Amino acid sequence: MRAFSIRRRLLAALLGALLGAGLIAALATYASARGEVDALLDDELRQIALSLRDHAQLDVARLQRASDDPELRVLVQIWDPAFERPYSSRAIDPLPRLKAEGFATVEHEGRSWRIYATPSGTQAIQVAQPTALRAELAARSAGRLLLPVVVLLPFLGLLGWWIVGRGLAPLSGVAQTLAQRDPTSLQPVAVEELPIEVQPLVESLNALLQRLEGSFDTQRRFAADAAHELRTPLTALTLQVQLAARAQSELERATALERMEQGVKRATRLVQQLLTMARLDPEAAQMPAVPIDLALLAAVVVDELQPLAAQKSITLQMQAPEPVRVIGQEDALRILLTNLIDNAIRYTAPGGRVDVSVQQSNASVHLIVQDNGPGVPADERERVFDRFYRGRDAAAGGSGLGLAIVRQIAEMHGGSVTLRPRTDASGLQALASFPAAP
Amino acid sequence: MRILLVEDDAMIGDAVVAGLSADGYAVDWVRDGSAAELSINTHPYALILLDLGLSKRDGLSVLRTMRARKQDVPVLIITARDTVADRIAGLDAGADDYLIKPFDLDELSARARALLRRAAGRAEPLVQRGALTLNPATHEVRLHGGSVDVSAREFALLLALAERAGSVVSRSQLEEKLYGWNEAVGSNAIEVHVHNLRRKLGESIIRNVRGLGYTLD
Repeated sequence: MRAFSIRRRLLAALLGALLGAGLIAALATYASARGEVDALLDDELRQIALSLRDHAQLDVARLQRASDDPELRVLVQIWDPAFERPYSSRAIDPLPRLKAEGFATVEHEGRSWRIYATPSGTQAIQVAQPTALRAELAARSAGRLLLPVVVLLPFLGLLGWWIVGRGLAPLSGVAQTLAQRDPTSLQPVAVEELPIEVQPLVESLNALLQRLEGSFDTQRRFAADAAHELRTPLTALTLQVQLAARAQSELERATALERMEQGVKRATRLVQQLLTMARLDPEAAQMPAVPIDLALLAAVVVDELQPLAAQKSITLQMQAPEPVRVIGQEDALRILLTNLIDNAIRYTAPGGRVDVSVQQSNASVHLIVQDNGPGVPADERERVFDRFYRGRDAAAGGSGLGLAIVRQIAEMHGGSVTLRPRTDASGLQALASFPAAP
Repeated sequence: MRILLVEDDAMIGDAVVAGLSADGYAVDWVRDGSAAELSINTHPYALILLDLGLSKRDGLSVLRTMRARKQDVPVLIITARDTVADRIAGLDAGADDYLIKPFDLDELSARARALLRRAAGRAEPLVQRGALTLNPATHEVRLHGGSVDVSAREFALLLALAERAGSVVSRSQLEEKLYGWNEAVGSNAIEVHVHNLRRKLGESIIRNVRGLGYTLD
């Protein structure tokens, strides 16, 4: 839609309505005046005709007056069998003679005439008048009504322009307040002083500002945390580069280069996790959710991670008796599964065992990943879900983001994730629960 | 010079140990606050490199405790906490210097040297004892103006003696200064270094005080 001016629109509508009302009033006046004029002048015609017929003594003066009065412009015609041509009060082409007695409207030589005819013995009397006269009289009275409206219109326009402008002033006030504020300020705009009509707009704006501030805050904190975290692998890399440059022997250089490679891998992994985290932002949570077979997805991820488990001679097994459906995003759930199982493999000693199971109980779907590794101390079981928190005994190279991502994904799906010690043996059990698909 | 490194990150710790060892320092490396505290109380360190974000005990709390106990070992904070407020808090807690990650290995060495120099009560970068001049930055040894090549360990031994010139330093003190925990010290390692230094600088350079140790005349 093109931008428009409320002021112009309101003004045009206002003046249009005013003019329209004036015109309608004028038309109504015209119609009713026309009726009255018709009745009045018809009566006049009839009076003249009847008085011509009934009064032996013709009121010549009246006839003369009526005939000459340009206002009335009455034409009297009398047909007498004794004369070849009818008498006509004015020297114009004679109007045709009506056959019946009474009123009629006749077109003659391009003009419309109103005629009253009456027989008078052997004679016939016709009194006629142009109808244009009647329209003129009616229009005149309608015009008298319309004139003041038309004259006042420009003044009303100016007045309206001013009134509408004043009415909209609070809007420009809000605009000015917003324009003058600090670009980094997301403080709400004061609503109390504003007119009721503008309040909803400003309130919506305030709500938007608040949401923006919240997400800015999250982003800012995340960026700060991320930058802070990237420093550690970068520090390690810087140092390894310098050691490589200083190396006295081939062996020293090779060691330094190998460590550098590890450092690069570690930084890469951190960046990948950061990206994953960023993609899981609240906005991404609005991506379409579809029914997903979590058991099948878990089986796929377990297959993918088998080589990693094999490297450490860890037995990685999967148990899912039947398909289990949840509503969610496949990519996100895949990351959740990968992170949980990868963690289990990472923290389990070579030769250990990692079991993955997916099952449904009532309206919940439970994903359990358990290992026979060292477990996580009780006081750290919640903290390990914090962004960038690395446990006391965390393996080197972890980003500290894996479990934070897992929790975010679980919560995005209306689920939860917790760590607890195994009851049957030593080791850790990660339990993720989701609402089952209906 | 024996240095304590308190750093929780394995890769950074590895690299710093490698770098400082190559400079001839003996480096002990611990990864958390409690271990740091234990080490500080059991060994005489010439310098402590302290990371702040530690598990078990925060670096700043370790620092405050040790200053409260009047342990005046120079402390160089190495951390990723880079705001002015963080730096002020670190220095006010008793740190002598503050280095922000990522840092340069050469800069770390230079700052370590500066702190060690100050702790030894010197302002000038060169250590001069009679005809002998030591440059801790380059490990250069000059005798009567002529340059003499020595190993990093030999230099460290010579410097340890030079900084306490006139007094006797025992063999075990030298071992403490020259070797970290993880280094196997041969029973006659110090004697071997002294022998080499005498060969290079002349027999009279280091005097043996029988039963007590060594001194630089």
